[in-house]
Amino acid sequence: MSFLRIHAQPGRTTSWILSWFLFAAGITAYFYVSAQRHRDNPDDRVMPTIVQMVQGFQEAALKPAEEEEIQDGAAVQGWPARVRSSMLWKDTTATSRRFLISVALLFPAVLLGLHMAMFPYVGAFFIRFFQFFDKIVALSLLPIIFIAFGIDELSKIMLIVIGVTPTIILDTFNLSKSVPREQIVKAFTLGAGDFAITYRIIFKQIFPRVLNSIRLNLKAVMLFLFAGEMIASTDGLAYRIALLRRHMGMDTIIPYVLWVALLLFLVDLGMNLLNRKLHPWFQEI
Amino acid sequence: MGSIRVQHVSVEYPVEGRGMRRILNNIDLEIESGAFVSIVGQTGCGKSTLLRLILGEESPSAGQVLVDGKERQQPGPYCGYVPQKYSLFPDKTVIDNIIFGLEASSGSSSSLLNPARRKRMRTFREEGLRYLHHVGLHEADARKYPHQLSGGMQQRVAIAQALILKPPVLLMDEAFSALDPGTRSGMQRLIKKLWRESGTTIVFVTHNTREAVCLGTRVIALAKDASGERGSSVALDLGVPHLDFDSGEEDLRCLIREVESAAVPVPQDALPPPEAKPASVYN
Repeated sequence: MSFLRIHAQPGRTTSWILSWFLFAAGITAYFYVSAQRHRDNPDDRVMPTIVQMVQGFQEAALKPAEEEEIQDGAAVQGWPARVRSSMLWKDTTATSRRFLISVALLFPAVLLGLHMAMFPYVGAFFIRFFQFFDKIVALSLLPIIFIAFGIDELSKIMLIVIGVTPTIILDTFNLSKSVPREQIVKAFTLGAGDFAITYRIIFKQIFPRVLNSIRLNLKAVMLFLFAGEMIASTDGLAYRIALLRRHMGMDTIIPYVLWVALLLFLVDLGMNLLNRKLHPWFQEI
Repeated sequence: MGSIRVQHVSVEYPVEGRGMRRILNNIDLEIESGAFVSIVGQTGCGKSTLLRLILGEESPSAGQVLVDGKERQQPGPYCGYVPQKYSLFPDKTVIDNIIFGLEASSGSSSSLLNPARRKRMRTFREEGLRYLHHVGLHEADARKYPHQLSGGMQQRVAIAQALILKPPVLLMDEAFSALDPGTRSGMQRLIKKLWRESGTTIVFVTHNTREAVCLGTRVIALAKDASGERGSSVALDLGVPHLDFDSGEEDLRCLIREVESAAVPVPQDALPPPEAKPASVYN
């Protein structure tokens, strides 16, 4: 049992195999059970086969959305045009737009957390409020948000803002507070003023960690966005998943879920690469 | 420029459930301009607290601290500061760390596209490189980040960063404590050389008696006041060592023994009267 020891050192190939094992096991188990179910019932819709899922995804990605067909009447020519008029494209752009607006709105939260940490009066004014606010389950506010802001875009973005910004504010606050006091004293002795220290010393030092914090909260952003889209929307990835659920369209739901995971993974990867490029001095992964 | 006066200073902190705890008790010191003063004492005796008082980072519970005749409310460019750790900004290269003070003091936030600012930055960089060489580093180190440097190199950069503004006072808080003996010895010689050249008043806090004795033109021991307030420290001015790194080993050992015996708890009646200037143990 030497492989279960703390000092065990798996080789490169072993590590590679181990890291992919659960993926392979999950996929194998799925298709095994799916094949069994289809042998018992060829019309089974709960666990579609790979062929059904590829067909479902192709239809979503290459066929025009229903509303597009009704409006244009004629079929769209050329695959780039077909992709742009497809259901998947429309849903992805709708969700991405909301997602990007929400992420952009997190940056004022970062600045607020920074100022709370650096200026004691600002901190005293806000900290207790956000500590309490952070404990409110944003989804429980959903009815209030829909009543207050209506069921259009604003309510979905507000849901994300209410759900994620207190966490980002408190996280930035803690990150700023964790910068050693010596750095602030040193900067004062070098002639820097309050705002130079806040932005040129503290903000620059915590920014890579703030980006990491936002990366870790991307899933929460998506969670609130999906909740909003599922309840009150006419487009978006979550709206489509909720709609397809009614028709048991698992052949499209599963590719949609994987598509969302892939998009989030790519955003996460992009932010990580950007973080490393912008902050070569930053050691954390 | 660079004189420090600590007048009857006491510092107390609230301790949860146990009232106030006095750290420093009626400290009275005068540090003349251009001196190199070592402050030595056991861990927890209040050496760093005394340094923070001089910096203006902390206010005394009683008494006052004057730097160049003024009471300082917060740290400023009148005092350079080299702590044991975290002295460099990790997000800036060596050269940017060194010239940070020049940039901050120039107070300009105009764009780098501004020709006047570009010219000024070029001057700052030239000055920064001069200081880099001065502390024994090479031009190739200028573009490195602090994490790419050894502990000794980091402290060299920190000293250059502090001295580039030519502060009248330089405060060093256990600045060489984390270094290996070889590097430490090199740094001690460097700081002594820089002090001779610059004439800056240096207050050097250390728990290493040998370092205190070899570096300081004056050694002040903070000793726990055995008969006074429990746990509080008093300052014993031990005068001028007149010794250097090249002094005989026997002389050094003798001096170190005397300083160490002064820095252990002393009864109240052994302390010099508050108004009288204490006699040097070396006279």
